Amino acid sequence: MTQLTFPISRIEGHAQVVIEVEDGKVLSSHFEATEMRGFSNFVKGTPAVQMPVITPRICGVCSTAHHVASVKALEDIFGVEPPPLAKKIRELLLLGQLIQNQATSLFIFTMPDRLDVPSIFHSLETSNISVKGVCDNIARCSLRIRKAGTDIISLAGGQFIHPIKTIIGGVSSGITPEKAELMKKELNTIIPVVRILFNHYWQLSISLKDRIGTWGDDEPTYYLTSTTPIKPSFDSSHIRILSPDGVEMETFTASEFRNYLVFTENEYSYAGQTSYKGNIMRANSLARINMTETMGTPIADSYMSRLERAFGLPTHPILLFDLCRGIELIYAIERAIEILSEPLNHDITSVAYTPSDGEGYGLVEAPRGPLIHRYNVLDGKITEAEFVIPTVHNMLAIERALTVAANRYIKSGQINLELEKAVGRVVRAFDPCIACATK
Amino acid sequence: MARQLPRFAVLQLSGCAGCEVSLLNSTEWLYNFELVYMPLVISASNVPSVDVLLVSGGVQTSEDLYKLLRAVNSAKEIVAVGTCAISGGITNLGNRDDVRQMFLSEAERFHLPRMLPKCHPIDDYVEVNRYLSGCPPTPELFMQLLVPDPEYVPKRNVCQECGRKKLKDMKPDHFFYSQRGSPDPDICLINQGYPCVGTSTRAGCNALCTKPGHPCVGCRGPSDAFIDKNAQGWFDSIGKVFEKMTDVPTEEIQAILRSPQLSLFLFQFADYDHVNKKPRPKDKIV
Repeated sequence: MTQLTFPISRIEGHAQVVIEVEDGKVLSSHFEATEMRGFSNFVKGTPAVQMPVITPRICGVCSTAHHVASVKALEDIFGVEPPPLAKKIRELLLLGQLIQNQATSLFIFTMPDRLDVPSIFHSLETSNISVKGVCDNIARCSLRIRKAGTDIISLAGGQFIHPIKTIIGGVSSGITPEKAELMKKELNTIIPVVRILFNHYWQLSISLKDRIGTWGDDEPTYYLTSTTPIKPSFDSSHIRILSPDGVEMETFTASEFRNYLVFTENEYSYAGQTSYKGNIMRANSLARINMTETMGTPIADSYMSRLERAFGLPTHPILLFDLCRGIELIYAIERAIEILSEPLNHDITSVAYTPSDGEGYGLVEAPRGPLIHRYNVLDGKITEAEFVIPTVHNMLAIERALTVAANRYIKSGQINLELEKAVGRVVRAFDPCIACATK
Repeated sequence: MARQLPRFAVLQLSGCAGCEVSLLNSTEWLYNFELVYMPLVISASNVPSVDVLLVSGGVQTSEDLYKLLRAVNSAKEIVAVGTCAISGGITNLGNRDDVRQMFLSEAERFHLPRMLPKCHPIDDYVEVNRYLSGCPPTPELFMQLLVPDPEYVPKRNVCQECGRKKLKDMKPDHFFYSQRGSPDPDICLINQGYPCVGTSTRAGCNALCTKPGHPCVGCRGPSDAFIDKNAQGWFDSIGKVFEKMTDVPTEEIQAILRSPQLSLFLFQFADYDHVNKKPRPKDKIV
């Protein structure tokens, strides 16, 4: 038996892919998390109200989602409902994270695969696309776009990586019109930059498809999201499941998740895997686009129509995860501008609450899919904490897609060198986050 | 022919990647440095020879240790970046041995890197030239490290950057944690009943938590006045401020100082209490 090991870079965290081959046949493909964070253990005994400051440290990429999910779980226990303005500011905060994440995944993690370079920083010359006055080079433009997301997180979340402004009962302060105006200006100036880079990315993706002959030839799967079905909202209340043939199967709340999602662990990875009642499913951008009618903002909708004209919806090839990320990036910028145009400093931002013991669930749609925090609290302290992680929902789908790629490039005992690149493309299409997955 | 830029690398050990994300929020380094290794954004298998090696994350697995020991030979200067590299970080959660036990009992896997009994600061194994503290350090601090501004005069503590007014006659008799209410934007958070440790915490973050109303949790570590002392020195100083500015009972003050939210960071330069390590000299800390 031959074991092929591929360390994976340009993802969050430490992981490797191991493909086992015997007699020229692919036996298995494993996606292995090689680190462990262990939060669900060491937060035991923590005063519950400190969780919103501690849990963002699970991951510096998805920190905002953990921050908000943590607050929502505690609000569920304490029976408190945040005022409308607080909800709006939380939505803005989550959009900031989406902008930052999708820009990073699209331009920093996966663009190099389209350009066939080790990184966009590595060879500034080869990755040059120059459009006068808008974009001088991919690295600088990408950093500028993702910084706009971070600036929203700072504005709506206080701290820029591990936010602090979402509190039990609301948010700690509103946003003044002057600050909102400045933020809007920044977002408006990056829209043309995003469009140029994304159009370029789309073209490069078509060239890639022409070169390798596929957008991804894995079978359809179930899909999972907690965004709303008409116009995506990331401050979620329900999880939905779509079947491989495009039928919406189930809708359930976070507290019911165990009836639908099955978690298993294995020996070869510090991360586990979830299935929908034993079936492979996918979360993240492709799931959300497959499960929404429209994006609800004009430019994002025009790109969504372009996707629909080319592939129909729902659609399944995995390289489309990346194109969907671009659509969401534009949506998030447009939607953030909408929110910033409304008054954000005119009303109360939080309500009082009385801490109590019990069990609670907090659900948000993180960039990688539905995230749930469940806490049990006794005498004000955490006795049990469970983190249901979006990357873990995708684990089985990643491994099956890896097997499909391995079978494509390992034929009658010969290994095509394209396999290493394909492994990277498959994993990055799912944009996994290993720090979170080994919570 | 492009001019030769100094080369730098970022070695990521066990951590959350927040430090790397912070670095990506600044752009000036693009013009002043060549980034040659950083697995988050570059596909490259080994750390090539570099002028500056930034290390983020703590040493938590056998693989972390191997990578660290291998990488330091290629670097002229080694910088520990962020709480995890400096102290082992959040996964130590202070120094609770009971927690480590639970942690390890779940951490056995067939052929994966083994978990070490605790997450170590990198200077347990290698000599560190400079320390950049913060969880994470802000992009401005990264720039101060890589492309120092000679005009920059560091402030003494977070209070000096925060600008909230301390009032003599507003003394809370009870602390509530951060998770409550919308504090007055101009008055010191301690006056309003928040256990803010900004009085003794290193400046440089521009008070980004306290300005919007969240008490400082001390992620930058102790200010220069306390950095050379042991953990108790820092604790005592914060305790004294709380005693002076509030009517909160002493037991409650002590309990809050030992609670996880603060012990995450209050222990970051204090771990040497536990392992007999000397304080880090303050001239090495950015």
